Amino acid sequence: MPIMTPGAVAYPGTSLTFKTGGWRTARPVHRWVPAPCHAGCPAGEDPCGYVGLVAEGDIKGAWERLVAINPLPAVTGRVCDHPCEGSCHRGAYDSPIAIHNVERWLGDEAARAAWAYPLPLLPAEAKTVAVVGAGPAGLSCAYHLRRLGIRAMVIDRLPLAGGTLRTALPSYRLPREVLDREVERLMATVNFLPHTSLGRDVTLEELTREYAAVFLAPGRQQPRAWDVDGRVPRDLHAALPLLEAWVAFGKVPEIHSAVIVGGGNSAIDMARVLARTGAKVHLVTHDVRPAPGVPRDLAMKAAPRDIRQAEEEGVTVHVEHAIHHLILRGEKVVGVELVRVKKLARDEGHYEIVPFEGTETVLHVDQVIPAVGQTVAPEGMESLLAARGFFAVDGTGRVPGHDALFAGGDARAGAWGTVSGAVGDGRRAALAIEAHLSGKAQEPARDAEPITFSGLNLNYFEHAARAEEIVLPPDRRLALEEIAAGLSGPEVALEAVRCLSCGTCMACDNCWTVCPDQAVLKMHAPAGMRYLTDYDYCKGCGLCAHECPVGFIAMVDETS
Amino acid sequence: MTPPVDFQLLRAQQPRFQGLDPGHRACQGCGQALAARLTLEAAGPDILLANATGCLEVFTTAWPESAWRVPYLHSVFANAAAVAAGMEAALKAQGKDVKVIALAGDGGTFDIGFQALSGMLERGHDVLFVCYDNEAYMNTGVQRSGSTPHAAATTTSPAGVARMGKRHLKKDILAIIAAHHIPYGATASVAYPADLRKKVRRALQVDGPSFLQVHSPCPLGWGHGSELSIEVARLAVQTGLFPLIELERGALIGAMPIRQIHPVTAYLKLQSRFRHLFADDPRAREELAHLQALADHNIETYGLHAESPDGLDSEGADTVRRGGLRSA
Repeated sequence: MPIMTPGAVAYPGTSLTFKTGGWRTARPVHRWVPAPCHAGCPAGEDPCGYVGLVAEGDIKGAWERLVAINPLPAVTGRVCDHPCEGSCHRGAYDSPIAIHNVERWLGDEAARAAWAYPLPLLPAEAKTVAVVGAGPAGLSCAYHLRRLGIRAMVIDRLPLAGGTLRTALPSYRLPREVLDREVERLMATVNFLPHTSLGRDVTLEELTREYAAVFLAPGRQQPRAWDVDGRVPRDLHAALPLLEAWVAFGKVPEIHSAVIVGGGNSAIDMARVLARTGAKVHLVTHDVRPAPGVPRDLAMKAAPRDIRQAEEEGVTVHVEHAIHHLILRGEKVVGVELVRVKKLARDEGHYEIVPFEGTETVLHVDQVIPAVGQTVAPEGMESLLAARGFFAVDGTGRVPGHDALFAGGDARAGAWGTVSGAVGDGRRAALAIEAHLSGKAQEPARDAEPITFSGLNLNYFEHAARAEEIVLPPDRRLALEEIAAGLSGPEVALEAVRCLSCGTCMACDNCWTVCPDQAVLKMHAPAGMRYLTDYDYCKGCGLCAHECPVGFIAMVDETS
Repeated sequence: MTPPVDFQLLRAQQPRFQGLDPGHRACQGCGQALAARLTLEAAGPDILLANATGCLEVFTTAWPESAWRVPYLHSVFANAAAVAAGMEAALKAQGKDVKVIALAGDGGTFDIGFQALSGMLERGHDVLFVCYDNEAYMNTGVQRSGSTPHAAATTTSPAGVARMGKRHLKKDILAIIAAHHIPYGATASVAYPADLRKKVRRALQVDGPSFLQVHSPCPLGWGHGSELSIEVARLAVQTGLFPLIELERGALIGAMPIRQIHPVTAYLKLQSRFRHLFADDPRAREELAHLQALADHNIETYGLHAESPDGLDSEGADTVRRGGLRSA
């Protein structure tokens, strides 16, 4: 080797001895930020998380992540009005991810593959909690108690579990076998006492004495009283009993034409059921159609998709109308007088429904069917119901003044009135019950602000069309057959790849690619931490944070 | 607590070729350091470097340290191409098939190093010459170069009463390179790393001289935040001010189409070297119109307007994928 003078040569890679990290005034940190779909889900699901796992091809992992929050994905994937998709940032970019169809497919896939819920062994000294009502709230609570190592005893007045899902949801939206499959799997993990009514077969005092805690989720079973100026037709049917009769026996009394009063899910389902029997159906509601930007108080409670499908099936929807007057012959309805109305805001969240003179029209119908909501059937818990007939509970579901008594689902005041809302109530109550039984203080709910649309770097994404499921054309929608086909496995995989992964690292390698200092190091771990910042060399330029497509990296000031 | 990480081991296990180690003294957000790192990743270990004097040489070789992990030779400012040509001739004489890459800034390419570059191309040496174009003499304090764009302020072309930044135009270096009829010449940008690496590989595949001009933002000299280097580089492409094109034997064989053409002001307003163009001054408005005309001219000359969305256009070429797979 020729001898070189010392000033002419340096050895490869020796600059590593010079730690440029000392130049930094801000450091990049990886931090998860809730996605808007998570913030928008009443059940508390994190679609961004399980959709991401689907995109990675880990289907079972995705399902396990999903059922860690919601044990009934095949059900909610079909019947939920998916507010997650309304808040999906992809909606502002092109069109939202079809989250409900990913969820539905995962639920169906789990049933096909007969996956078992990932549950811990029940300790011998496990306590038992009573759950009143086997609807979505009760089932969710029982399941989450079981996940937390607590035995659940579910009590219901009916022979089968499922609650409203079983009694009032028509099978064209939720096929029986889907419901049976998912409920059966869940019921295998908890104890069930059917044919047991609170107040008749067992009292609340007995339950509180015998069980470590009680969760009340009786739902709303009692139709609200309804009249027009004090007048009620003699042959009045409320919507819920009619719906229940249809779901149980496939029959309703013969009706030629009807006007249904209300804008919620029961009203829409009732209208669609009657349309299937060949009746001419009108639906009258004070509210406007739900749309982005319309306040929740002003919009119809039914999902936009269901309203649209009802109209396709021949239902005439009269928004912002009310029944002004019943036209009776004797005590039988022969028509109604409609009037245009508007819900006008009065002081502090109160609305007044104002009818407008001169806008009256007449509809000739032979039935008026109110679907104006239900209240809690109070038997056995009269002392607990607050004013207006619902449970007033705190944020965790606890009934004030009772340590070990919780309530949720449709029976609580301010309920979401949806299946996913009930599932969320059940989970939150189970967490509170577990905290209560183990004597720990419950950690306050973490509700960090979801990531904003401008927090993403959209330069790194491409537009792609949303996968649309096949829906039966209106003239082929039969009485019972499910009308939406869902998506196939390959379609779901493609749809999952569209997810912008808001606030969650998707291992795209961009930070690793753009760092001028090789300070971002790639890990071998397939999941969890994918990249590490070597702060010895990171100069804090901020390129990785600015260019992160999903907003997972934040610059934290280090000067103070 | 996460267990302590052995960074040295992890660094050694990175699944890409690392020719430029950290510990170098480039400024925060340096586009040139990023461009050099990406070039070496694609060129990968079987190469020799000749590097003209300039930022890149200064920040990587603070004696007794070196950030390089490949054989590296520092030439003087003017003769990187000549030194690389000599290295290539010596390797050929030894019967070794090792590629030589010459690295230089825009000063060492457009101006001071130009005659050596022209000679190397003319003699047909099998050398890739990479120009890291940061559009001024940054190492010595932001003096204007032949590459400084029209109307940009530098310390030797300040904006003031007499004129609005640089009076002259940016030299069309690629047209001069094209006149040498070399097998391959291209422009690239740090905003499109996959495209840049693809062009480096392509250039190294050809037999004979090749040339790559890489647009490399300089946060200090251009006057933008260090986190914006890529944003600025991307907008230079998306406005049409820095077209990404490929030439073979002097003929245009490819250009990255621009799906969504941005106005030049989107690019200019991020940089303080163009701040004077946003003053309430009729000369400023005229210069803005001039720069927009230059961008429009590029778009027309190279046919940059995308007719339909394409996976390799200005929006598609930087698409990332879950799990790290980029196109190209």
